[in-house]
Amino acid sequence: MSILETRGVTKRFGGLSAVDNVTIQVPEGSIYAIIGPNGAGKTTLYNCITGFYPSDEGEMLFQGESLVGLSPDRITKKGISRTYQNIRLFPAMTALENILVGAHPQLKSNWFDAILHTPRQRAEEKKALEDAQDLLNFVGLKGKGDLFASGLPYGEQRRLEMARALANKPKIILLDEPTAGMNPNESVTMMRFIESLRDELGITILLIEHDMKVVMGISEFIYVLDFGQLIAKGTPGEIQKNSQVIESYLGRGAA
Amino acid sequence: MKENIKQGTRSGMIFGIVLIFIILFGLTTTLSDIIGDFLGFNSNSRTGNTGGLMLLFAVIALWAGSRAASFDKFNLKSTLISGASVGLVMGIFVGVFTLLVGTLDAANIEMRDYLVQLNRQSIQFLLYGRSLWTGTLISFGILLVFAILGGLLAYFLEEWKAGDKIQKRYILIKGKVLDSDLAQRYQNNPRSRWISYGILLVIVFLIPQFLGKYWNYAMGTVGIYVLMGLGLNIVVGLAGLLDLGYVAFFAIGAYTAGLLTAPAPLPLQIGFWPVLIFSIIMAAFAGILLGIPVLRMRGDYLAIVTLGFGEIIRVLIRSDMLAPYVGGPQGIRDIAGPSLFGILFNEKAYLYLIICAILLIILFTNYLQNSRVGRAWMAMREDETVAQAMGINTLYYKLMAFATGAAFAGLGGALFAARNQYTGPADHTLMVSINVLSLLIVGGMGSIPGVIVGAFVLKGLPEILRELDLYRLLVFGGLLVLMMIIRPEGIWPAPRRMMELHDKVDGVPPEDSLVGEEG
Amino acid sequence: MSETKTKKTTGRINSFKIVQAIISVLFLAFLGWRLYTVIESGVYGPDTWVRFALSGLIIGSVYAVIAIGYTLVYGILFMINFAHGEIMMLGAFSGYFVFEALKSIPIESTGMSFLDSYQIISVVLAFIAGMFMAALSGYFLEKIAYRPLRGAPRLIPLISAIGASIFLQNAAQVTFGPQRRTYTNPTTLMRSQGWRIPIGGEEVIVTYTGVLTFVLSILLLIGLYTLVMRTRYGRSMRAVAEDKQTAALMGINVDQIISNTFIISGALGGAAGVMWGIHNGIIYHFVGFIPGLKAFTAAVLGGIGNIPGAMVGGLLLGIVESLGPAALGIDFQLKDVIAFSILVLILIFRPSGIVGEILTEEKV
Repeated sequence: MSILETRGVTKRFGGLSAVDNVTIQVPEGSIYAIIGPNGAGKTTLYNCITGFYPSDEGEMLFQGESLVGLSPDRITKKGISRTYQNIRLFPAMTALENILVGAHPQLKSNWFDAILHTPRQRAEEKKALEDAQDLLNFVGLKGKGDLFASGLPYGEQRRLEMARALANKPKIILLDEPTAGMNPNESVTMMRFIESLRDELGITILLIEHDMKVVMGISEFIYVLDFGQLIAKGTPGEIQKNSQVIESYLGRGAA
Repeated sequence: MKENIKQGTRSGMIFGIVLIFIILFGLTTTLSDIIGDFLGFNSNSRTGNTGGLMLLFAVIALWAGSRAASFDKFNLKSTLISGASVGLVMGIFVGVFTLLVGTLDAANIEMRDYLVQLNRQSIQFLLYGRSLWTGTLISFGILLVFAILGGLLAYFLEEWKAGDKIQKRYILIKGKVLDSDLAQRYQNNPRSRWISYGILLVIVFLIPQFLGKYWNYAMGTVGIYVLMGLGLNIVVGLAGLLDLGYVAFFAIGAYTAGLLTAPAPLPLQIGFWPVLIFSIIMAAFAGILLGIPVLRMRGDYLAIVTLGFGEIIRVLIRSDMLAPYVGGPQGIRDIAGPSLFGILFNEKAYLYLIICAILLIILFTNYLQNSRVGRAWMAMREDETVAQAMGINTLYYKLMAFATGAAFAGLGGALFAARNQYTGPADHTLMVSINVLSLLIVGGMGSIPGVIVGAFVLKGLPEILRELDLYRLLVFGGLLVLMMIIRPEGIWPAPRRMMELHDKVDGVPPEDSLVGEEG
Repeated sequence: MSETKTKKTTGRINSFKIVQAIISVLFLAFLGWRLYTVIESGVYGPDTWVRFALSGLIIGSVYAVIAIGYTLVYGILFMINFAHGEIMMLGAFSGYFVFEALKSIPIESTGMSFLDSYQIISVVLAFIAGMFMAALSGYFLEKIAYRPLRGAPRLIPLISAIGASIFLQNAAQVTFGPQRRTYTNPTTLMRSQGWRIPIGGEEVIVTYTGVLTFVLSILLLIGLYTLVMRTRYGRSMRAVAEDKQTAALMGINVDQIISNTFIISGALGGAAGVMWGIHNGIIYHFVGFIPGLKAFTAAVLGGIGNIPGAMVGGLLLGIVESLGPAALGIDFQLKDVIAFSILVLILIFRPSGIVGEILTEEKV
C-alpha cells in the first residue's frame, strides 16, 4: 500500500511545465529515490507535494488522503517532513531550538498555557526538551544543543536539519540531496543513517540525489525525471542499464 | 603629504558645513550656555556665555583634527599637516559665514524672518560681543589651533597605545576580575541570579518613595512606554511584523477606559478595575481585527498599512462626525481612576501600579518567549516559508502576535488615560507609534532590559535635558539614523540579535522561494 | 499512467477569494447607494462637482509627481524613502526664498519688484532653485542615511528613513521657524485667478496656478518616462533595478546610478514642492508629511515601480479624495481617511496596483 502517491501532477510556470504529468507511488517502509539532471523538476515536485506550490493538475495522496489544496502546515501535521537542498535552518536559533520548532506539531500547549506557565505546559516542555536532546544525540550532535545553528559547520548543519525533520515524528521524510557537499566517507555514514531511519524508526524515505553511489546503494526503486517528465522507473539494476537515462545525463552534460 | 591635505580638506569641509548648520539651528547658543553653566564661566549677560562658545569650537576642532589625523597616525609631520588643513578649511567656512552674517547684520538687514536663529543677539554672540573682524578671527584662530592640537593628540595617543601598555593593563585587569573566585561563584550559582533580581526588585519598589510628585509622574510615563515597548517587542521583535500603527491599540485601550468610566459622552460609569480588564480585551480584539487583512502582506507594505490604520483611527476619533460617541477633538474628561480600599490613586500609587503591571508583563513575555508559541514566532521571523513547513500555522500565530501586542498596548492606554483623567486625539498621534518603535530599536529588540533602557533613553532623557527641548525631535531623528548606522542592534540587544546583524550567516540565505537549482 | 485529471486547487485559498469578491460587491453597492442619494438630493450643483473634480485633478497631479519620486527609489532599492515628503518641503522652501528675494529687488524701469517685472524668469528661477536644493538634499540623504545600510535587513533602512524624515522636519522648524509662510506669487499668477467658465448657471474658475501645476506635471512625467524608457541611461537604471549584481558585471556603475536616482527623485519632489507653494500658498516645516504619505498611496495604487502607474495613481487619488467626501455625504474632515482607506484596501486586495507592478516580487 503506497504511503505517498502522486497521479499526473503538473506544475507550470508561465508557459513552461516544471513538472509534467508525474505519477509515482512510494510504498510504506521503503527507500525510494528520484533522480534526474539539474532542472528536471525534482525539487519542484517536492514543493508541490508539501504544499508550497499549488499544483495545476493532478492528485497527490498521503495514506489515501488528498493533499491537494492543503496549506503546508497542515500537510506537515499529517506526518510528512522534508529537508532542503541548500539547508534552511533557523540561523539565529540554537540547535535545540531548531529541533523544538520541528517538534511543533507534536506539542499541544497553546497560548494560554504558555502565558500562564501551567503545569501541563511545563511538563510538556520538559519532555520536549528531553526528546530534542535524544534526537540531537541520535544524529551525533551531542553537547552542541546551545550553539547557534549558523555557527555549526556544514556537515553538522545537515545533520541538524535531519534531526529537525525527525522531530515531527513523521511517517515519511522527503530528503533533498542529503549528501551534497560530502566526501565519500561522510556519504557512507549518511547512507547508513538513512537506512537506520527506515529500519529502526520505520520511516519511509524518498530521496532526491545526484550521488549515484548513494542512490544505487540504498534505494529499492528509482524514478527518473527529465524536463519535468517521468522518463524511467525501475530498480537500480534496471535504471543503470536504461539507455534513455544514460542519454539524458550524458547528453545534457549534467552533474 | 598631498594625500593628507586632501583628506584634511574633505574632513574640514564636512565639519565646516556641520558647524554652519549648528549655528543655523541655534544650537551654538544653547550648547554654549550649557557648557558655560556647567563649568561655571561668568556669563556676560549681554551676549551670553561666549566662553562656552569658545570651548565648543575648541572641542569640535580637537575632534576634527584627531579624526583627520587618524588615517596616518604615525607620522608627526603628516598629523600636523592633516590637522592644519582641517582647521584651515573649517576656519575658512565658519569665518566666511560669520563675516557674511555679521556684515548683513551690521547693515541692518533682518535675516531672522527667514532664518529665525539669526537675530541680532545671536549674531553678536557669534562674534563674542566684539567687532566683526575680531570675532571672526577669534573663531578662525580657535578652529585652526585646536585642529592642529587634535592632530597632535591623535599622534600621541597612538604612540601610547602602540606601546600596548594601556591595552595590556586593561586585559589583565579584566581577566583578573572575571576569573576571580567571586565572579566564578556568581556565574555558576543559579541562585545568584535570583538574588540579584531580588535586590533589583527591592530597589525598584523603594524608588517611588523618594521621588517627588513630578518625577513619579514622569517615571510613570516611562513605565507606560516600557509596557508598550514590551508589547511591540512581541509583534516586531519576536514575530517580525513591522507595525507602524501601534498607537491604534493604545488609543482603543484609552478610549475604552474613558468611555466606560467618564460621565460623558456615554453615561456609563463602571468601576475602574473591570474596565481595565475590558480595555485589554477590546484592544486584543482590535488586534485580531486589524491583523486579519494584513496577514499576507510583505514587510514594508505591512508597515504602511498599519500606519494607515493608526492614522485612520486618529482621524476618526478626532472627527466631528463621531464626536457624539467618542468626544471629538476635546477628548474625554473626568475619566475615573482606580481606588484601593476607598483611597484614590495619586502619582506615587500609579507608579506602583505601573511597576506591578510591568513586572507582570515581563513575566508573561518571558514565559511566551520560552514556549512553543515563542519559538513559533521566532521561526516565522527567521524564515516564514520554512516555519510553515514545520507545521506552524502562520496565519494563526501572526494574529496571536498582533493580539498579544495589542493587549499590552491597551493596558498601557487604559492606565495612561486613567492617570491623566483625560484622553484625546492629541494623545494618539503617529509619533507615539514611532516613539515606541524607536525605543525598541534604540534599546535593543528582543531583549527585555533593552526595552527598559530604550524607554529611559527616549522618554526619560528629554525630561532631564529640558533645556534642549526645542531640539528634542531633531536629536531624536538624528539619533535614529546614527544608531542604524553604527549599532543597529540597539544598546542592550538580545544576544541573537547581535549575532544576526553582525555576523554573516553561513549557508542559510533567507530566500523567499524554495527553488534550489531546479525548476 | 493514469489519465490526467484536471483538479483545481480547492481549500483555503479559494474561500479567501470568494470572501474578497463578496465584500467588494457589497462595498461597491454601498458606495453606489450613497452616491445615488447624494446626487438625488441635489445638495451639490454641477458647478460644485466640477470644482471638486478640478481641484482633485490639480492636487492629483502634484501627488503624481511626488509619487514618481517614491516609485523611482522603490524600484531601485526596494525601500520606501520615508523622507521624500521632506525633500518636497525643502524644495518648497527654496522656491519661497527665491520669490522673497526677487520680491525685494526693485526694478527702476518698471517701478515694480523683479518678481513682478520678469515674471516668467522668476518662476523659472524658483523652480530651478527648488529642484536643485531638493536634488542636492536627496543626494546627501542617500549618501548619509541609506548608503551605509545597503546590505542590512529591510527594517534598518526603514528606521533610518523615518529618522531622517523627523530630522529634516525639525531641522526646517528650527532653522526657519514653525510659522506658516505664504508664497507671494507674481501678479499674473495670483492664486484664485483664472479663466471663468460658466457651468450650470454658476461660474467656475480654472485657476492659472492650477493649470500651471497640471501642465508642468504632465511635462515632467513625459520627460521622466522618456528618460527611463527611451534613453541609454534609462536602460542602465532599469538594469540596476532588475539585478544589481548583473548590472555591475555589465560595467554599470551601480552606486552612481543609485545616487542619480535620488537626485532625479529629489528634483521631482522639489518641483512638486514649488508647485504646492505656488498653488496652495502655505508652506511650513510639516507640509511634506501628509502629501508624502498620500503620494506613496498613489504610487502603490498605480503599481509600485511603474511610472505611468504613479501618474494614474496620483490623479485617481486626487480626484477620489476630492469628490469622495461629497459623493459619500460625509464630513470633509474625513478626506484623509478616504486616502488612507484606499491605501489599505489596495494593499489588501490588489497589492500589485491598478496598472500593475512592473517589478516582480523581491528579487533580493
